[in-house]
Amino acid sequence: MKKYFFLPFLLLWVVNTPAEARVYLDINAPTFVQIPIVLPKWKTVNKTPPTMTAKVYDILSNDLTLAGFFKVIDHSRFPSLLKEKEGIPNSNALQEWTTVGGEILLVGEALLNSNSNLILKFHLFDLVEQKHLVGKQYEGPPQLLRKMVHRIADEVVLQLTGERGVLNTKIAFVSLQGGGKEISVSDFDGSEARLLTQNQSLNLSPTWTPDGKKIVFTSYLRRNPDLYLIDADGQNFRRLTSYPGLNAAPAWSPDGKKMALMMGMEGKSDIYLIDANGNNPKKLTTGHGNEASPTWSPDGKRIAFVSDRSGSPQIYTMGSDGSDVRRLTFEGSYNSKPSWSPKGDRIAYCGRVEGRYEIFTIGVDGSALQRVTSNSGSNESPCWSPDGRYIAFSSNRLGGSKVFIMNANGFNQRPLTSAKGGESSPAWSRQLE
Amino acid sequence: MIIEQRRFIMGKKGLVVLVLFLCMGLLLIGCPKKTVVKEEPSVKKAEEPVTEREKAAAAEKEAREKELARIREEEAKRAKEKEFEKSLVAKKEPGIEGEVFESRLLKDINFDFDKYDIRPKDAEILKENAALLSKYPKVKIQIEGHCDERGTNEYNLALGERRANAAKKYLVSVGIATDRISIISYGEEKPLDPGHNEEAWAKNRRDHFVILSK
Repeated sequence: MKKYFFLPFLLLWVVNTPAEARVYLDINAPTFVQIPIVLPKWKTVNKTPPTMTAKVYDILSNDLTLAGFFKVIDHSRFPSLLKEKEGIPNSNALQEWTTVGGEILLVGEALLNSNSNLILKFHLFDLVEQKHLVGKQYEGPPQLLRKMVHRIADEVVLQLTGERGVLNTKIAFVSLQGGGKEISVSDFDGSEARLLTQNQSLNLSPTWTPDGKKIVFTSYLRRNPDLYLIDADGQNFRRLTSYPGLNAAPAWSPDGKKMALMMGMEGKSDIYLIDANGNNPKKLTTGHGNEASPTWSPDGKRIAFVSDRSGSPQIYTMGSDGSDVRRLTFEGSYNSKPSWSPKGDRIAYCGRVEGRYEIFTIGVDGSALQRVTSNSGSNESPCWSPDGRYIAFSSNRLGGSKVFIMNANGFNQRPLTSAKGGESSPAWSRQLE
Repeated sequence: MIIEQRRFIMGKKGLVVLVLFLCMGLLLIGCPKKTVVKEEPSVKKAEEPVTEREKAAAAEKEAREKELARIREEEAKRAKEKEFEKSLVAKKEPGIEGEVFESRLLKDINFDFDKYDIRPKDAEILKENAALLSKYPKVKIQIEGHCDERGTNEYNLALGERRANAAKKYLVSVGIATDRISIISYGEEKPLDPGHNEEAWAKNRRDHFVILSK
């Protein structure tokens, strides 16, 4: 990765119209109407290459669409209202935009300054109440353009929904490459996809470390499913565990000190805990069942997992020491791959319905079961976004398996990647700096 | 006219019959004498030396046949041994360390969906595999547990582990040393048949046997 990747870009100024913060959209409501947001073309200032401005605009438009809360109204008309007076744009010009049909207006400009730094400036307006909401300006090297735009989109999401967006997150997934399966990472919007491994082996079940800096996964490189660790930029590939049998489906505890995983030291899969360095395996599950796919509650106190101890695979939870096992799912004869939401209240999983696999969510007390995918291919491997507002999953509805994202209530399902297919097992990073 | 002709014909026939009788009489009187006289001494004279020779020849033949049978048996045995050795096909998979061998004589077993118990007909196959392994005590094998594509990848890893271990337990129960058998689960990651139908799925739910060392 380039060296300036970790250099932060600067927030130069903020103009926040002092007013009571209003949440335009309650995204936790069972249904909601997308906010129509007018997005005129961005202005190119001085000698900035117009292609750069166009790129900013395209990424921003796509981000806001992917966020799932907005109906983006592209507009080619050039904004005439950025004639600022002490940094605050002239709101009198807003009147002319009300005819376009949007409730929110987002305008901006791109400038390449004398230091060859890119400056991105935006303003957000409420067209209904005819007022300025926020204005911000960022400066950074042009190589960070995409990251800067994601930050702007995140800011828009924060202003309109009351919570920061996840546009500066990454998704790791398994990518079919020839006969092998490699670990791949892309931005939340599917861009910047790159292979972290290129070893032609079977590399499975990627999971992020809680700090978002490393990915742990299973690989068959040494003819055994062992655990490996790799930095998110593809550096420092190393083996972490190689116990006989399975070393699979790793899940870091929220404090990053331990890992729960599937291990097969007794000829069948059980849930074990190991240290962050792979030592001191401790078996958590007992009995004769097959145990799989551990996932931690955000407070680190409990672990959800799959067990077929009842005769069919079902979701259970237990204390992180293996005590107090409770069965969570009772509907259906095949429920697997749980994922505990970052807010702690729900668990997503994959269940079989009439021979197809669908994504469900259920309260941690077993209440309020909700099916969130429906009659569209087989859907597997759900995982939550770090803010709990989205679920990524894999689906073969378009032919080959692809990673999809949707709002947690099942709305707005769309494929994440534009790749050829063969992507599966998504894992969402925390919000990155 | 007609009657006269008949008589004439009859007269002719009678003559022919008479001549035939005379000839037969001559044969009956002369020929048997000759043959009996000639044959009797020839048989009696040859009897003693032929027996001696034949005894020797028979013994020799018997020995030769025994030797042949032994060679044939040995060849068959060698051929059978070679059959196993000839059946070994080296297999090197990209991204997976080391070389293993596959043999068509070590047969796959199959499973029902989401099950890992050994069905009776698969137990018969395991017995044959065990018989082969008993003959080649140096051979070490790895049992690969595989699943079909349905269900989640991680649960299928658990299921594959269980399937491989079920076959291992069976082989150990019929006398194969446990340290000759290792197991590995590939879950649904290495289908034999890439299809997405019941036929492909049935093939893919399997234990496959590879030889780690011969």
